[in-house]
Amino acid sequence: MLKFILRRTLIMIPQLILLSLVIFVLAKAMPGDAVTGAFMGNPDATPEQIEKIREKFGLNDPWYVQYGRWIGKAVKGDFGQSYTHQQPVTTLIAGRVENTVLLSLFTAIMIYLIAIPLGIVAGRWTDSWADKLIVTYNYVAFATPLFVFALLMLFIFAFLLGWFPYGGSVDIRIESGTWDYVVSRAKHLFLPVMSAAIIGTVGTIQYLRNDIIDQKNKDYVKTARSKGVPEGRVYTRHILRNSLLPIAAFLGYEITGLISGSVFIETIFSYQGLGQLFIQSIGLRDFTVVTALVLISGTAVVVGTMLSDIILSIVDPRIRIE
Amino acid sequence: MAKKQFMLLASLLLVLSVFLAACTGKDNKAGDKEPAKDPGKTENTDTDDGEEEEVEDPNAGLDFPLTVTNTGTPIDGGELNYALVSDTPFEGTLSPVFYSGSPDNTVMSFFNESLFAYDGDFLITNDGAATYEISDDNKTITITIRDGVKWHDGEPVKASDLLYSYQLLGHPDYTGTRYTFMISNVDGMPAYHNGETTEISGITVSDDDKTISITYTEATPSLKSGIWANATPRHHVGDVMTGEVTMEQIVSSDKIRTNPIGFGPFKVSKIVPGESVLYVRNDDYWRGKPQLDSVVLKVVSSASILEALKKGDIDIASIPVDQYLNAKEVDNIELLAQVDLAYTYIGFKLGKWDADKKESITDPNAKMGNKLVRQAMWYAMDNETIGKELYHGLRFPGTTLIVPVFASFHDSSIPTPSYDPEKAKALLDEAGYVDVDGDGFRENDKGEKFELNFASMSGGETAEPIAQFYIQNWADVGIKVQLLEGRLHEFNSFYDRVEADDPDIDIYQGAWGVGSDPNPSGLYGRTAAFNYTRYTSEKNDELLAAISGEKSLDTDYRAGKFKEWQELMVDEVPVAPTVFRYYLMAVNKRVTNYSIESGTDLRLWKWGVTE
Repeated sequence: MLKFILRRTLIMIPQLILLSLVIFVLAKAMPGDAVTGAFMGNPDATPEQIEKIREKFGLNDPWYVQYGRWIGKAVKGDFGQSYTHQQPVTTLIAGRVENTVLLSLFTAIMIYLIAIPLGIVAGRWTDSWADKLIVTYNYVAFATPLFVFALLMLFIFAFLLGWFPYGGSVDIRIESGTWDYVVSRAKHLFLPVMSAAIIGTVGTIQYLRNDIIDQKNKDYVKTARSKGVPEGRVYTRHILRNSLLPIAAFLGYEITGLISGSVFIETIFSYQGLGQLFIQSIGLRDFTVVTALVLISGTAVVVGTMLSDIILSIVDPRIRIE
Repeated sequence: MAKKQFMLLASLLLVLSVFLAACTGKDNKAGDKEPAKDPGKTENTDTDDGEEEEVEDPNAGLDFPLTVTNTGTPIDGGELNYALVSDTPFEGTLSPVFYSGSPDNTVMSFFNESLFAYDGDFLITNDGAATYEISDDNKTITITIRDGVKWHDGEPVKASDLLYSYQLLGHPDYTGTRYTFMISNVDGMPAYHNGETTEISGITVSDDDKTISITYTEATPSLKSGIWANATPRHHVGDVMTGEVTMEQIVSSDKIRTNPIGFGPFKVSKIVPGESVLYVRNDDYWRGKPQLDSVVLKVVSSASILEALKKGDIDIASIPVDQYLNAKEVDNIELLAQVDLAYTYIGFKLGKWDADKKESITDPNAKMGNKLVRQAMWYAMDNETIGKELYHGLRFPGTTLIVPVFASFHDSSIPTPSYDPEKAKALLDEAGYVDVDGDGFRENDKGEKFELNFASMSGGETAEPIAQFYIQNWADVGIKVQLLEGRLHEFNSFYDRVEADDPDIDIYQGAWGVGSDPNPSGLYGRTAAFNYTRYTSEKNDELLAAISGEKSLDTDYRAGKFKEWQELMVDEVPVAPTVFRYYLMAVNKRVTNYSIESGTDLRLWKWGVTE
């Protein structure tokens, strides 16, 4: 097992180097840089001054020199300075990570809370009215774009009914550290989390339902049934054990989502997270932030995949690589 | 079963689409109280509906007030909710020296103010926290800070706090965007900027730290509008000059990010970074006790702003142009509008930038070199229709290159081309641009094909229709124009190519925000890098020099030169202004003493609510 993890970790290294190189070169190939963006339309700026700032940030060096400098610092956790925010990128990202992680964590929890029971019900009682309802829900959710659904939730629950706030992460009037503060944060989280979760359940429900239907007719289930195992136990003990395996393995991939954030949800609910930061930085050509974020989410993908593999090999000894 | 499911699905989707329309309000017919009853309505019928009462004469503009009509007595105290309408958070660099985005500027405006007040022409007055005197040689300004002007922590605002801003702006380590002409023009600033000395010889502070005098190398009229007058609390943020802190430490410190101070009417009480700010009244405000107890500023996405206003959650917000028709239908708000400090224009490429000489070189043989053709293209554009149909009257035909907000300098008496295709054809005939080969498009005066590449930016729903509309306009008078590479171009690459004088670009559509100093030298001067058309002429040089020159401290003289310059540009047409624009503010009817007029006396500290 240790050998397996070690090998996976070693494979990660060239993957990450390649990733960082591609990100960096692509970012450099885009027209403009943060300095152009900041000075654009500022008739007071002189070309000399702009040139001087470019020089100071080393933007005039050849790309491989810039890459070397960047990667050298990046391995130490220093992603440079954001020009737009006039702040180290690490500080900037650290400030947003909490919101994004909270949002994604609760979204992931909600997805599993909704999807697993629904998937089991639909799979066990195939073609019942409950199954039809769940399948319909699944199709509608699959067909509905996230931003449409989020706007709909916003309109109904924040404006028509007024039950939840329409934006932000917390009510500024409430003292932080109190119980009210926690309640306020929860209320602000509710709509974004539910919007993302209700749409996000699609894959899991479908997967679970199909898998249970598949397993039902497998020989081991027939054997169990013929030996007189009660129907409830057939599902809880035998079928679910197998059907939940791949779902558990997906957990690793979920971690990727935890870090990259959701642009739609964050924008619609004015909820500040990494997704918004990413889009804003692309628009302003704030490449230090863009490259750092892509690198972080790229790393998360690589690490997430590895975790998935590890989880899978723990729960399912058959696929363990020796 | 399959069929049933499909029906269910279809009906659900229908419901969804109706709600979507209600949320974004794009399909909404003006005049319908219930949103999106009739999603089949097209955009065109929308605009026709409200047109009659909207604009008769677009030049006269829309009849919007600048000041709220609620004149009731405000209640004592109260809280005002101000929305920063944006789909991205504010950056939170809350220092006039270091900030970069305009949202930060809005956030700062509640707690921080300039030492000077400004009149309707954006010229400094003596009504601010400091008074000024200009020396006889027009090179030195002496600024005296009033007694009783105090930072929010109780420390008096000192002359050396203003000096500190200059020390930061000119500092060799400064990487922000504000080391501008009026900073580098300070005597001794270049030496300080290059790190040769640690003193700025042109700035002296009096012994009592109340008076500061700043001497400039060149006397310019910008002294009255472009002078830097934002002090920086040295005791609060720390002193770079003594090595107490470094520049980088200041920029990323909490002192300007979560706990900034100023001397404005409200103090920052709490900040949720990027998202909202709570301000409380500053009882020691130098003008007097502010009316409101507190102000809450929060970022609201453009998707929710109208609903938030309707709900009464937000008192003041700017309204995106595309939501104007819906905003008109909201009962509890009043709309204010003001002509914005910006214009859109068509630029004609006339030359190249010479990087060695650092100046524009006009090519007399440029494809667009004939001014009659340029004039004709201006006459051919139907900007009024653009403004009415695509912007519901919130944009209107541009006239001269000085926007009307500068009441003393904009000259509305100058005749400028307006939509007249016959006149355009006549001008082209006169220029000898006639259709020789009978394909419906004109050839140039030498009988060669005359086809223009038009560069225009992508972004927003209106970008494509506008570009196509102009192309049609020009085709109507016989000029063949096509989009550069057949498509619109993304903002950054568009400007990259325009700036680099890409030979494929003949004409382009751009826009300028003009700032509070109307001096056009930075955009049209011979040595201005932003002079993207590369138009130059002796006359232009002379007039711009006069506008920037010492004599122009006399407003009448300057207005005269501005008039001459505007006439020159209308005649030469290096750029053809297409539209001026309004910006819209929605204000809840409970708000009183609020105005968006420039130079108004209804300042922030007087804003109140009547319920």
